[in-house]
Amino acid sequence: MNISRYQEKLLDKALEAGFIEAEVYYEQKKSFQCMLYKGEIDSYETSEDGGLSLRGLYNGKMGYSYTEKLDDDSISFLINSAKANANILDEDEGIDIFGGSTKYTSYDYYNEELETIGIPEKIELLRSIEQKIRAYDSRIVTLDYCLLQEYTAERSLANSKNLALSHKENGLVLFLSTVVKDGEEMKSGSYLKMTRDFHSLHADDIAKEAAEEALANLGEKSIPGGKYPIVLRSDASASLLSTFMPILSAENAQKDQSLLKGKVGHKVASEAFTLLSTPFHPAALSGASFDGEGVATKEQAIILEGTLQTLLHNRKTAKKDNCETTGHAHKDSYKGALSIAPQNLYISTGEKSLDELIHTVTNGVFITELSGLHSGTNTVSGDFSVAAKGFHIQDGKIASPVKQMTIAGNFFEFLNDIKGASSELYFLPNGYGSSSLLVKELSVTVE
Amino acid sequence: MIKQSIIENVLEAALATGGDFSEIFIEDKYVNEYVLQSGKIEQSIAGRDFGIGIRIFSGLQSIYTYTNDFSEEGLLAAAKRAALAIEGGGSGTIHPLHREIITPIHQILHLPHTVEHARKTAVMRQADSIARNYDSRINQVKVRYLDEQQNVLIANSEGKFVEDTRVYSRLSMQATATEGTEVQTGFYGPGAHAGFEFIEKLDLNHYAGEAARIAVTMLHADECPSGKFPVIIDNEFGGVIFHEACGHGLEATAVAKNNSVFANRIGERVAPEIVTYIDDGTLPNEWGSLNIDDEGEKTRKNVLIENGILKGYLIDKFNARRMDAQPTGSSRRQSYRFNPTSRMTNTYIAPGTSEPADIIASTEYGIYAKYMGGGQVSPSTGDYNFAVMEAYILKDGKIERPVRGATLIGNGAKTLQLVDRVGNNLAHGAGMCGSLSGSLPVNVGQPMIRVSEITVGGTKGE
Repeated sequence: MNISRYQEKLLDKALEAGFIEAEVYYEQKKSFQCMLYKGEIDSYETSEDGGLSLRGLYNGKMGYSYTEKLDDDSISFLINSAKANANILDEDEGIDIFGGSTKYTSYDYYNEELETIGIPEKIELLRSIEQKIRAYDSRIVTLDYCLLQEYTAERSLANSKNLALSHKENGLVLFLSTVVKDGEEMKSGSYLKMTRDFHSLHADDIAKEAAEEALANLGEKSIPGGKYPIVLRSDASASLLSTFMPILSAENAQKDQSLLKGKVGHKVASEAFTLLSTPFHPAALSGASFDGEGVATKEQAIILEGTLQTLLHNRKTAKKDNCETTGHAHKDSYKGALSIAPQNLYISTGEKSLDELIHTVTNGVFITELSGLHSGTNTVSGDFSVAAKGFHIQDGKIASPVKQMTIAGNFFEFLNDIKGASSELYFLPNGYGSSSLLVKELSVTVE
Repeated sequence: MIKQSIIENVLEAALATGGDFSEIFIEDKYVNEYVLQSGKIEQSIAGRDFGIGIRIFSGLQSIYTYTNDFSEEGLLAAAKRAALAIEGGGSGTIHPLHREIITPIHQILHLPHTVEHARKTAVMRQADSIARNYDSRINQVKVRYLDEQQNVLIANSEGKFVEDTRVYSRLSMQATATEGTEVQTGFYGPGAHAGFEFIEKLDLNHYAGEAARIAVTMLHADECPSGKFPVIIDNEFGGVIFHEACGHGLEATAVAKNNSVFANRIGERVAPEIVTYIDDGTLPNEWGSLNIDDEGEKTRKNVLIENGILKGYLIDKFNARRMDAQPTGSSRRQSYRFNPTSRMTNTYIAPGTSEPADIIASTEYGIYAKYMGGGQVSPSTGDYNFAVMEAYILKDGKIERPVRGATLIGNGAKTLQLVDRVGNNLAHGAGMCGSLSGSLPVNVGQPMIRVSEITVGGTKGE
């Protein structure tokens, strides 16, 4: 199947069928994944797949459909479904298909070398990491995940206004979860690493970090519940940020689902807090030079030293608010409708190292992992109460791991309570990043 | 969907390097999803998911590959690519395919694609107006309608050849209540393995009304206190706590490699005698039900814990090898993109004898969790956490006042030991469960239960 010919044919047929304008979006992905268990390949997966969506203006409304089967029958399925869906909509979005930005920044999201390194070499690395972790300490019982994942993805957007954009990216992700046991106490610790540079992966360093992450959790103690100053490690902070991202969406603000409505130009966080969005960051794997509508993306400050600079817009919300789109139209894949999401959103770094931040706390808690974020958070009110793993800080030093905890607070208050950001930056594979943060206080409950 | 002779060739090609089992899973799925917000239908998507997953076993090694290239050359290339991962010799044999006709246990009356769009959107508008009219403080309502028809064909080198159609319908409602700077939400999302008849029969006054009532109730709720309390968890979706705290630890994915606190403990007491825990994929038209699992095995009623004694696990074909056990009709996958593994279907605590009113009346002080939110567990340690959507303080046997921001944390195996009351009002609730083989429709269920002590995390310091 020749994709560009299929795209062309679909666009022609859509216009013939009464669409005023139309856009075809195509995505294809190749992936490889391997999981080891005691040196043996436990599971091995490969894939080559993709899909295509049609978005078009019909009777003044934007119809949408997708398929993963690319044959002639699907052309009529796509056109008829998109038409029917346009008819169901109550709202005339007032948005047309985008004609293109004047300039797109080119940036390398693809490293050919990663793809040319053979699968056996990658499995060998994983095997050596597993071996080194198992040998690292007698308290290491097993690894419940020892996983390597690699992908190459391509997407293209073509429309009846002669815009044709394409993007190619690849990456490799390692995920390790180590189970440790001391007497009756059983704990686990997870480790995640992503890169486009295979040669940056060193088995000794990775095994040490992964093993230490789990071993550190042994010897847990209880501390009294109450309000404590908190140091939130960068990875935990990035996952909290990713959960509360919807408050930045102009669409949510317009629908009364964000308390940041009407707050542009106002102070919404402490001066120690700066939030940046950039499609181009060497430490992040995601991003693209165009957004889900084909608008050129750029680096910008969302919150600068505590002041909200802008909400995240696509063309529809920008039109409603009478401003320019910020290039944050987002398509999860060809299956999803157009929504709003950032490209690499991260909490900017500060001057002090993580140790120096911890050093400022006399009696507090250092949080290294949050879980239950999908259920214990309310992005509308900002309230959160989530499970946490971490350590007691005593007199500026990490004392001991704490039994299972919950931390609770309100995200809007949390933003105002940030007293400092560390100098290191960590990105999650989903493009959210953060430095470690020192926070005035949060409620801590200990099991 | 694909010619039988091609399927045979693919199964054979997959065994060319010495694999001892091959399987093909073909999926053709039609999806419709509409979203209503601010009183308007503002999103509607129709789509077709189509693809093929090929799986090979070689001893305790599992190879999986998927593609949506449905040409014979494409499929053979995928099978050969997967087979390359096996460094064995010789070639396995395939048994002649024998078409199995299944008798559907979940009757579908109105296939979604035969129902006019306007009838679907009319239900959404009705739910929207019920929630809005509940209280003037409801200022936003989001209604999501979803229907799916998933056609699958499963064939394997042991001669299995079976087709099935699964139809899903779900309506979910989220209401937002606002007063001054306070904002709270309430949610209800009933779903079924059924056609449009399920949506049309829904008691919208109840579901949309409850979503609105929860949001309004939580507006003026106090912050939840922290500490260790007796906790009463109401029926239906309350069952999510044992889904996380215990269900995941009984899946072969965790048990086969001893990564579960429940591994190697069949026959042992793991809970008080009043606890019986069951997974049943045959419950007619329930959200987590199936005729056959994603390996083509008939679903069944699996008793996991009977009167407190551990009786069984949920086992898929691959983990059955490591465990030297039989599969239990529990192998599932979100789509052809996922290597299937042992998962729950409709899991529930069997009804006991206590009257719910008596359970409440006999509790001096504690937390009453009327509606649970979602949760999470680490199967290797059994540590879990949950959000409570609607919680109350119980005092002197009475429900005193609503509290918000309650999170329950603890250890599944320990919490299970602390169940001291099981009510007689079993009900099931629909949810989505995310794990190794993707996101799946599952039911969680239970009657009202009481746990003598759970750690409650709240926003109000001690």
